[in-house]
Parts: sequence; C-alpha cells; structure tokens
Amino acid sequence: MKRVNFYFSTKLTFDDYVHDHSFALRIIPPDTDTQKILSCSLNISPCVPTQQTDDAFGNNVTAGYLKGDHRFLDFEIKGTAEIDCSKHRTDYMPCYLYQSGYTQPDERLRAFYDGIKGKCTGTVQDRAAYLCDALSDAFEYQKGSTDTDTTAAQAFAIGKGVCQDFSHILISLLRMDGIAARYIAGLAFCNGETHSWVEFWTGDHWEGIDPANNCPVFDGYLVISQGRDFRDCAIDRGVMFGNYTRQLQLVRSVLT
Amino acid sequence: MSTISKEHSDRLYWLGRYTERFFTTLKALDKMFDRMLGQSHIYTEYLDHFGIVNTYSDSREFIRSFLYDEFNPNSAAYCLERAYDNGIVLREEISTSALSFLQMAKDTLRRAENSPNPRLSLLPLEDIVYGFWGSINEHIYDDEIRNIIYIGKTIERLDLYIRMRYPYEISRKEYIRLLKNLRRVPKDTPYRYNTKALSAIEEIMGSEEDYLSRTDDAVSSLGQLFETSEVFV
Amino acid sequence: MKDLEQKHFTKAVGNANEINELLRRFGVKFGIYKNGVFNEQFFPFDPIPRVITAEDFACIEKGLVQRVDALNEFLFDIYHDKKIVRDGIIPEDFIYISKGYLAECEGITPKNRIYSHISGIDLVQGKDGVWYILEDNLRIPSGASYPLIARELTRIAAPQAFEENEIVDNRGYAQLLKETMEYANCGGIRAILTPGRYNAAYFEHSYLAEHTGSVLVQNDELFVEDNMLYHRTYSGGKTRIGVLYRRIADEYLDPLTFLPESLIGIPNLMEAYRSGNVGIINAPGNGVADDKGIYYFVPKMIKYYLGEEPILRNAPTYLPFYKEDMKYVMDNLEKLVIKDVAEAGGYGVVFGSDLTKEKLEEFRKTIIAEPRRFIAQEVIDFLDLPILDNGETVMRKADLRAFVLSGETTRVWASGLTRFSRNPDSFVVNSSQGGGFKDTWVLK
Repeated sequence: MKRVNFYFSTKLTFDDYVHDHSFALRIIPPDTDTQKILSCSLNISPCVPTQQTDDAFGNNVTAGYLKGDHRFLDFEIKGTAEIDCSKHRTDYMPCYLYQSGYTQPDERLRAFYDGIKGKCTGTVQDRAAYLCDALSDAFEYQKGSTDTDTTAAQAFAIGKGVCQDFSHILISLLRMDGIAARYIAGLAFCNGETHSWVEFWTGDHWEGIDPANNCPVFDGYLVISQGRDFRDCAIDRGVMFGNYTRQLQLVRSVLT
Repeated sequence: MSTISKEHSDRLYWLGRYTERFFTTLKALDKMFDRMLGQSHIYTEYLDHFGIVNTYSDSREFIRSFLYDEFNPNSAAYCLERAYDNGIVLREEISTSALSFLQMAKDTLRRAENSPNPRLSLLPLEDIVYGFWGSINEHIYDDEIRNIIYIGKTIERLDLYIRMRYPYEISRKEYIRLLKNLRRVPKDTPYRYNTKALSAIEEIMGSEEDYLSRTDDAVSSLGQLFETSEVFV
Repeated sequence: MKDLEQKHFTKAVGNANEINELLRRFGVKFGIYKNGVFNEQFFPFDPIPRVITAEDFACIEKGLVQRVDALNEFLFDIYHDKKIVRDGIIPEDFIYISKGYLAECEGITPKNRIYSHISGIDLVQGKDGVWYILEDNLRIPSGASYPLIARELTRIAAPQAFEENEIVDNRGYAQLLKETMEYANCGGIRAILTPGRYNAAYFEHSYLAEHTGSVLVQNDELFVEDNMLYHRTYSGGKTRIGVLYRRIADEYLDPLTFLPESLIGIPNLMEAYRSGNVGIINAPGNGVADDKGIYYFVPKMIKYYLGEEPILRNAPTYLPFYKEDMKYVMDNLEKLVIKDVAEAGGYGVVFGSDLTKEKLEEFRKTIIAEPRRFIAQEVIDFLDLPILDNGETVMRKADLRAFVLSGETTRVWASGLTRFSRNPDSFVVNSSQGGGFKDTWVLK
C-alpha cells in the first residue's frame, strides 16, 4: 500500500475567441478496489457550472458548457489517494475481448502475432508477459513519431512510439490471443505527463502491465480512466465554435 | 409561445422577401407586356430601374429571361426558386398546405413557358400567391413570428416600388405599412431595426421631392435596416 | 378467401396521374444523390392498393407485438445483465462483433425501459399466403409519412372506394407517434432532429414534425447545459427539450461520446440522456438487435424472454458461423440469397442464382474467410402484387414495412408501407433503388 499526492493540470489556449464550448473531462480518478481517493478537488477556469456522471466504463465524467467568448480553458485536479495493487478489480465487460477502433490489427500486426503465438503459452499472466516482452523487442520508445490519432497498426508499421502506442499494440496482441484487455490512462512516475498502460483479464480479475516500461504495475500507478482504447479515456474532449486556427495544450502532472 | 431558432426566423424573413419579389416582378412584367404592345423597345426602361445592361436582342428574349430563366437573379423563376428553398425547411412552421402553393406556383410558371399566351397562363399565379398568404396568415398563430415574414414582405415591396419609381402616394402607403410592422417588434429581438437607417428613410419618404430625387439613398438605407443576412445552404 | 380478396382489388383506386399530381403538389419527395448531385425525386405511387384481410392483420398484429416486445427485452438484457448470452442462447461473438452494439450505452436504462419506440418490421407474403419476417429495423426506420399522405390524397381523388369498402382508417399515425413521443418525454417540448434538407427522408422529417406538433431542429440549434438539452431560440432564449426523435445515426449523435469528427451531433447529449433528462427515440445502441446476424435468433428470444411460441416466421436462415449451416450454404449457394450483415438499404444482397461458376467459387471463399459477416436465406416465393405500368396491369415483387409503436402499450399501425420493385426481375424494393409504393388497406 502506498499513499500518493497527485496533481494534474491542462491549459487549453486558443489564438482567437471561442464560444459555445461543450466539454467532457475524464479527469477525476475513480474510487476502486485498488485505489481509495482520500481527497480530490477540481478547479476549472473560467468559472463554469459542471455536472458529474459515470460513463459505461466506470469513469467519472465532468461535463460543462461555456457559452460566452473565452480564449482559454484551464482545469486542474489535486488530491490524495491510497493505492494497493495487492487487491484486484473485477469490473469486467465482454467488449474488452474484442478489437476496437485503435486496436484493429492490419496484415502486418497480425503476421507479427502469428510469428510469435507458438511460444505464447502457459497461464494468462505468462502469455501477457511474453507478448509484452516480444513487443518490447520489436517496438522502440520515441516521442514525436506518432500522435493521439495513431492506431496500433499505424504505430507498429512505424516501429516507434509513446506509451499510448505501446498500450494499443499490446491490447491488440492480447485480444488476438483471446485475452480481454483494456486501456488505462493515469499518472505514474513523476515525469510531468500522463501515462498509459494496460490491464488484462486473468479470468478472475484485472492485472496491470506497463508495456512502455515492460514491467508489472505497482503501487505507484494512479488510474484516472479506463476503456477499450484511448478514445474511451481521453482526458478532455470538446467542441467549440469560433475563428480560432490553433489550440495549444499544456499539460503538467505531479505524483508524489 | 412556440420556440423558433435563429435560422428559421431568418428563413421566414427571406421567404417573405422572395415571395413578394416574385409577385411584384410578375406584376411589373405583366404591365411591361402590355406596354410593349406597339412599342416593343420600352423594356429597356425596366432594365434601367435595376441598372442592368441591355444584352437582349428583343422584347421576347427579355420577357423569357425575366420570367423563366432560373439563372437570371432578377427573374420571377429565380425568386420563386429561392422562396421555395426557404419555405421547404419551414414546413412545421408554415404548414404543408402553405408550402403546396409554392409548388403549384412552380408548376404553373413552368407550364406557362410553353403556352401560346403566357399572360393568360400566368393569371392563376395571382390567386396562388394570395392563397399562399392566406394560408400563412391562418397557420402561424404566434404574432411575433408572423410579423417576421410580413416585415420581409413589406421591406421587399417598398424596395422594389422605390427602385421602379412607383408614384409617391403608393410607395408612401407601403412605407406606413412597414412602420406598423416594425412597431410590433418587441425589444431585444434580432428584428429590432437600425434606428439611424429608419430616420434616413423617414426623411426621404417625408416629401415627394426627396422621394423622386434620392432614390439611391432610400434603397441603401432600406438595406441597412436589418443586418439579417440571407441563409444559403 | 385471401386470393378472392386480392383479385377483387386488382383495379386502380382513382386515377394514378391525378393522385401523383396531388402528391407532387404536397411535396412528397425523397432526396437522392446521383454522381454527387442532389436531386429531389417524387416517390412514384401505384393506385392499386394492397389489401390485407382483418384475419390476416389480426395475426400479423399479434405476431409483431410479440416480436417487438421480445426485442425490447433483449436490448435491456444486452445493455445490462446479458442473461441470454450467459444462458448460451446467443453466442457472445454475435453481440460484440456487431457494429450496432455500442459499449458506450452499457448500463443506460431509457425511460420506461423502452429502447425501440418506433420499429419498422419488413414482411413478405409467400405464394402460400404465409407471412415471413424479412428484417427488423429498430434504429431509424423511415417511410410512414408516404402512405399517410397518400391515403389522405386518395380519399380526395377516389371517395367512392372508401364508401364501398370497409377500410380501417390509418390517419391516426401522427397521433400514435405523438403519444409514443410523450411517453418517452422526460420533461420539455418534443423535437425531431434532422440532418437537414439534403437528407433523403427530409420530407418525412418535416411532415412528421408538422403533424405531431414537434419542433424540427438541426444540431446547431441545440445545446446541452446543466445536463439538459435545450433549443436555442431566435431571440437568445432557450427552451428545454424533453424528447428527441432523432433521424441521424448513433455514431454521429454526440461527438464527445461517439465519432469525434461528427459535425451533425450534439455535444454531451449522451450525458443528458444517461442522466434521464431527455428521451431519445429510438435508443442509441439498438443496432445490436436489428443486425442481420441477430435476426436468426429473434424466434429464440421470443421463447426465452416471453416463454411463447413465435407467431410470425422468419425466412429460413442459415448462419455460416455454425458448422452444419456452413455445409448447407456451401452445398446450396446457387439457390440461396446471401446478405452482408454490415450493409443496409438493399445493398450487399447477392442472389446465388445470379452468379457465374467462377464468381460462386470466389464467393464461397469469402464466406469461409469471414463466416460471421454473412447470413444465407432461402429465396421466398413472394406473392406478386399487381401494379399499373403505363396503363397495363403487371405483377411485381412487393414487401410490407409494418410500423410498431411502443409506448404505454405496443401497437401496430393498421397500414404500413408497401413497396414494390419496378423491375420485373428484381426482388429489391428500396426507394433508393427505384421502387414505388402503394396504399395498404387493412379491412375491417
């Protein structure tokens, strides 16, 4: 068990005024079997009333609507949580067994799986660890070669990517192997950014694995949201109107 | 009160304008038809009112273009097409039966094109347009919403009357009609007029002399009365 | 008796040109894109009505109510406990590979547990007089407005036919729809959401809005604030919408939940819906129940949820997914009709008899490679209906789309949309493929 303080902020800045801005944030960490949220506060600026709902995947959704002209939207959360990975989550959904938008394999990724599946044996945990090892050997961590729209198949073709790409490819492999898997967005390591990793279903409970670091998940990982892939977990989604041409996003996170 | 969006209110305004432009154009062309009997080149007078260069070889071609050519933005057919375009998205506000008059008008106009006596074949259009307005009047229950389409209608009529140099007393009456409609607009709605533009028109419409000499001023002030821009898809 | 009735009505009711002229006048059109250009077409009307006897209709009615009730139970089950999968009635794959299944809708319970408020069930009558279900449409079935206005106009054009025959009045559809919308209303006005006038069914959207007293809206007039759906009025105010009859597809409904690139959706609509502040007709996620693959299981659903024997039959259907069915399909491909489960509107339908030997072989391979993608059906020997073609009576294939409305009770509209194919060799009756429609008489 570990007690952590978390802080996360995003600053969205536009180069011209925007209005009728609807947004949905998945930013408040859920209270689960493996993490207890002891305190959590959310600040949004400009000041706007928000509503809290839960989505289908068990995420906290904060929805709001900024009608008037504004040039920025900032939000931050801070709080304290107790993480205990010796306990397990059991919120299974059958859809996690099936490929989703980002994880749909192409010929190349399928061929990669076909080439390694012979050695993929043992318990579910063994198979997941094996697939994660194989991915580590075949895929390189590098920033800037992919973006948030890159699918598993596209990233795999490039051969390099960030934690999001590692997660999508591993999920794709796990699902091809008949193991249900889900995408996790959260905070881990104090590197100032958000992190993503994977949970796979053992048949009884979820277990976390971090493909970008090729290691199991431990008490230093705070879950913010989960879903079939990145699309279900996007920290912020928004639709706005105006003549802006650029939007700048600054993200900062701290986990201690 | 029923709820109506900005787009629909603008559509109503333009439906009023185009239906009226269609109607007034039709009547003016009918008059022109009559005057051309015996002095066929008089149609250039009509073109002058709108500042259009005469590229027509004869009165026949002029009439054909100004009645039926959907690509001539000053033609009756074009105005009717635009009226229909605005009307088609307002079915639940103005009713299927009001809309059916526009479809009938389109069909009648098309049939007249091939008729040996266009003036005779165009005659039912007057009944159809009156039927349209009767239907609108019956169907739109909310006074505030009905007033929007009538504002469009009266602005258009006054605009065309001024351009075509209708006699002062006739235009003056239409101006008074417009004022009555404008007075019905509640404060803080988009159909609140520009007061500066209105006082300019007031001044010009005040005397026959100004009316006859300051036509361009009158038309441009009328155009500035609302900033409502036309909705194109 | 049935044959007698139909023979009796091989004559036209009213003059086809007169009625089509009236339909034109009232703007009965559907939009169609050809080579990228939008055109409005008049939906050709045939003046010989289809006649359904009171006994026949009573049976259809009972069968449809049963079917739609079971489908609504199924939808609730799939988005909650999934008992039907756990009990092994439907293989899990068929649910989760379906494009119509939306994981985002898990756990949502619409008001009164109704998912499919307006169901369009397509039936055909065989030569033996038996009615078969061809497909269920539980997302946004269209077409009710055409027979509705056609009846109104036929009564003007041919009053004597309605004096001489005992025909159930079908003009209450709008009232039925209004009641159905009100039953799903979560507090506010009724609105119909259209993608705009360039949609194929725009006439229907605006006609139904007019006749149900609903506001016809497009997405840019709507916004979600405080988890409520509002209509933005022209003077800067807002009016709350309690029920939204949307005529746009699920994936486009809310860019913050579904396709982020959707320009015709309403951001955060799903949050308002999940919170029970607005009713959506039909519920998002219904596609899982009208999937061509799931169709095979509907008779099983009726037994499972209602404990009843199905009253109406499915067309004999095979799922290549099952080994024994795959064998049958491979052996009999040339006499079967194959449907791609992902396609709609008459597309993706292949008749084995139309294929050459090579094409058949190729198609066999496609089916083996993707067994879940296809269903195979026996070709039903349709009862042809008479239509007038340039003054001559000819026989054509026709189907019937019945409309079932689920509100306080489940009711079947005593009419429907009878579509026929203009082409003598064609089984495809969709309006987008050049078909026409008839009035459908249900006798008293």
